[in-house]
Formats: sequence, structure tokens, C-alpha cells
Amino acid sequence: MQYKSIKKEEWDKTVEQLLLSYSIFACVENEYGLDYEFIRPADVKKISYNKPKPSTPLKSFFLPVKENVTSEKVEKMPRIIMGIPNCDIEGLCLLDDIYLDKEFNDVFYRKRRENTLLIASDCFGIQEHCHCSSYNIKPFSENHADLAVINLNGTIVLRILSLKGEDFIKTIPAILSPGDNDSISAIAKEHLATETLLTKSNNGLPDYKITGELITTAKEDIWEKYSASCVSCGACTTICPTCTCFLLIDKPGFEKIKQMDACQYPGFERVAGGEDVLFELRNRFRNRYMCKYVWKPEKFNSIACTGCGRCIDACIGKINKNELFMELVK
Amino acid sequence: MQDNRNIYTPIRARLTNVIEESPLIKTFVLVPEDKFSFKTGQFIELSVDGIGEAPFTPSSSPLITEKLEVTVMKTGYVTDYMHMLKPGVFMGIRGPYGRGYPVETFFGKEVLILGGGCGLAPIRSLLFTLESIKDKLVKVILCYGSKTPADCIYKPLFDRLNSTEKFEAYRTVDKADEDWDGSVGVATTLLNKIKINIKNSVAVVCGPPVMMKFGTIRLLEMGYRDDQIWLSMEKNMSCGLGKCGHCMMGEFFVCRDGPVFTYNEIKHNPEIWK
Repeated sequence: MQYKSIKKEEWDKTVEQLLLSYSIFACVENEYGLDYEFIRPADVKKISYNKPKPSTPLKSFFLPVKENVTSEKVEKMPRIIMGIPNCDIEGLCLLDDIYLDKEFNDVFYRKRRENTLLIASDCFGIQEHCHCSSYNIKPFSENHADLAVINLNGTIVLRILSLKGEDFIKTIPAILSPGDNDSISAIAKEHLATETLLTKSNNGLPDYKITGELITTAKEDIWEKYSASCVSCGACTTICPTCTCFLLIDKPGFEKIKQMDACQYPGFERVAGGEDVLFELRNRFRNRYMCKYVWKPEKFNSIACTGCGRCIDACIGKINKNELFMELVK
Repeated sequence: MQDNRNIYTPIRARLTNVIEESPLIKTFVLVPEDKFSFKTGQFIELSVDGIGEAPFTPSSSPLITEKLEVTVMKTGYVTDYMHMLKPGVFMGIRGPYGRGYPVETFFGKEVLILGGGCGLAPIRSLLFTLESIKDKLVKVILCYGSKTPADCIYKPLFDRLNSTEKFEAYRTVDKADEDWDGSVGVATTLLNKIKINIKNSVAVVCGPPVMMKFGTIRLLEMGYRDDQIWLSMEKNMSCGLGKCGHCMMGEFFVCRDGPVFTYNEIKHNPEIWK
């Protein structure tokens, strides 16, 4: 894997220059925590590197909550999203499977994907509910993004992950030095430290090899118990990097509005005669687990949970899916 | 080269005629403005401008491409509006979507079709197709049940089929009236009357969920294998493109992987009859 490095001050100047030709979103720490923000020249120094993890999932950049999918859109400036944790990068792969499918590809999603450079960020440290490694996802990107950025004590190291990333590097006016062995081994050390933290923090949590079976064979009472404090608000699906369900709404002139939807909302599967497979709260609740750990893995050969833990953070009913799994594995 | 077609944009189709089939069921005759064709069993998303869109399987012959017919039961928000439409307006069509009936696998076989209520709509399209290839089939038997004689749709179809070589059509009603002199009972009771070589046959079931369930159970009792039974599954597909998630049935998107499945393909999912 190819590395390039640049002094932090030089990098900041480079980002400022890039703002002339790109819209840049990057992670910034604010009073509510860490999240993506639209970067203006004055914000460049505030960009946070290698800290897990922005509150908003990456999907929000590609699947707006609501959009008109029958009217042409004007091409905007190319976009850079910087500081993406690997859980979100891996989540995007499932979105690509769905939206870039050969027979029916969603031109709105595809144009946004083509127009965006993905700069991942290696996670140094973990958040309370991070558990990517339990689902075979590393806390740093080795593929699927274009570049990965690491801030090593005043030096920015870039790991090149795609041809698009490589081409982008060539357009940067600043002089980049090749990554030296010391930096590379320092990064490896950080990776190991983060992975050790993840292992320790998720000791005993069932991993991706058995989550599907645990969910399939789970008894009815577990769904009753864990859905007891669910209020069907859909926070878990909104915040989930891989939940992509939507509804098409008609507007005059045969226009269609595509609006994000979720199986956790009552009526999601209601059919015209009034029948509703997911009428019962516990069935809706179970549906999400079946989708993530059983059906999507069968259909797309990839687990639909990336272990980001945002659904646990977001739940106002304090439902912790990891506790559910721990109970199932007992 | 990338496909820049917008998958969400419908094509416009002029509504040229509305046929009343029963008090709750109407057939809409549509002439699409662009080239449009479908295979029997595939479905379309049909929209009322500015109101909404719903999935339907066309009931006309796939061999006729200049117009198409969609039979709609008045049963919800969008279909209530559809029933108010008069000829001359434009409707929107997206599709066709999904996997229809694999009629070429029916060659050399006897085809048993079990239908109920508005489920006769997709079956009529299948019957038109089977009529066009009847030389390649041994025979076709239709067993159809409706709630009352008034609810029975496409009445002339039955006489026509019964006078067509290799075709037999039977009707029953759950509840008879004074003028009814045919069978009384649910659709599956008709299966006791027919003669069919099960080993060399396929069964097609389409109707309300309860009929699909008990129809399948009865066919299995008769000796049909799981992979000889074709079911047309009903879900509220929103996009029809395998994306929106509304029609997920286990690991299947009914809109892409179906709507026609063999019982064998989906029997492991306990939720199919719900």
C-alpha cells in the first residue's frame, strides 16, 4: 500500500486551496460531539482527525431524507468527504450493491458517488459502543475508500486506496513525500492499540459468524422484552449506515418524491386490503434484526450491520442490541 | 457506457376505456405513449397523477402491445381514486417489473390454475398466453372462486375457455344467490371435480392470501411437489426496483425475485402466508 506524507501546516494550506474547487465536508468537534460540517477556510484548522466517530452516518450524503427523483439536477462542484470511519465505508458497499445494481441503477445516487472523493480516517481509540471488529470490519480502511488520512503528531499521512485517490493526489499542488517506515510502523501501532481496545470492550459479544443463527433461532419472548421500550421513532434506522428503505410519493405532473422510510414505522408493510405483516411492534422490531443479520447477508453476501453502535447511542428507549446478543448467546 | 435512464420516471398512458367488472372491480384500458410490453405475470406500477402509485399485474394479453388492461379492485387510497377516473385522462406506468410465469417450462404439461377474487386478473393474462401456445400444452384447467356471483369477474371468459380446445374452466361462489346454479364452496372444492395427471402437471395459484395458503396445502395433499406449484405473491411494492424495501419477504425482494415464485423457493419462510 502506498503512503504519502505532508506537514500538517502544509496540509491545512492545501485543504484551503482545495476549497476553491471542491465542496469539503469534514469531521469537526462541536458542543454536541463530533460530526461532519461544511468546511469554510476558517474551519480548516478545526478539522478533527482519527477520532471516532461522526454522529451522522455517511449514507446521508448519498441518500437525502427527501428528494425529487423525477426532475433533473444541476451538477454541483465535486465533493470531498473527509474523516470517514471504516464502518461507514463498509456500509457504503451495501448501498452500492442496492443503488448501483446493473439493471436498475439510481442515477441520482450514482452521480453523487461519482462526484465524491471519499477520504477515510483511521480510528485511533474507540467510542463506548464501537464494535466493528465483531463484524469483521477493521477500524481503518484498506479498500473501498479513495484515500485514508492519518494525523501523526503534526504530520499528515495519506494512504492511497484507489485509482481515483491516486489521481487526486497528483492534482494537489503541495509537495508530498513518500511515507517513511517510522510513520508506517507508528500507524500500525495505533491500529493494534485500537483493535485491542475493541476486543476488550466487546469481550464475549457474538460475532458475525453466529449472529445470523442467533437471530433466526431466537425465541419470541426476547423480541417482546427488548421491544418493550421501543416507541417506533425510527432513530435506529435513520442513524444506521446501511438502512436504506424509502417510499415514493406522487406529486402532480407524475413527479416522484423519494423519502426515506423504515420498517420500524407502523404501516410500513401494510397492503391495500389493510393486512399488515408488521402490525405488531415486536414483529417490526424483529424484522430489523432479521434484515440486518439474516436476509441482507443472504442476499448481498455482506452483513448489514457494521458495528458502528450508533443505533445504541440514538435509542431513546435505551435499547442496546449488544445486550440482546449477549442474552441470546448465554 | 453508463445508463442514464431515470428509473423513477413513469411513462404516460391515456385511459381510453373503463369496464365495470363487478361492483368493486373495474378494468382500465390504457394506451401508453411510449413503447411498452410485458411478460405474463410481471407487474407494473400504475399511478394516478399527484395521488399515488400501486403495483398491479396487467390482465390483458402480453401479445397485444399497443394497449394494456389493468383490473383494479377498489380497496384503498389509490384504488379509490382510480375508480373515479373517466376515459381521456392520463395515468403513469413504470415497469414491467419482476419475474413472471415461466410458460416455456409448461410445455408438454397439464396446467392447473387456481384463482380467487381479483386474482383472476393476472390469471387472465396468463390464460391469453397459454391459449397462444396451446399446441405445446396437454391441457389447461381453471378453477376459480369468488365470494358471490356478482363478484365474479370476466364472465364471458368462462364460456370462451370452455369452448376452446384443451381448456376447461370451473367457477364456484362462497355464497350463492337465487340465479346461481353452479358450485357453491371455496375455490379449493373445485379441485375434487377435476381430472388431472399430477405427475405431468404444474399448478398456478393466485388470489387472496388465505386462498393461496389453503390452495397450496390442498395441492400438496393431492400430490403436487413443492416445485410444481407457482405462487404469485402480493406485497405493497413501492419502487418495483429492488431498493425501497417495502416488499421484502425474507431474503427476497418480491418485486425483483418474484412476484412469481415456486412454493419450493419460499416455503422456508414462515411469514409468506401472513
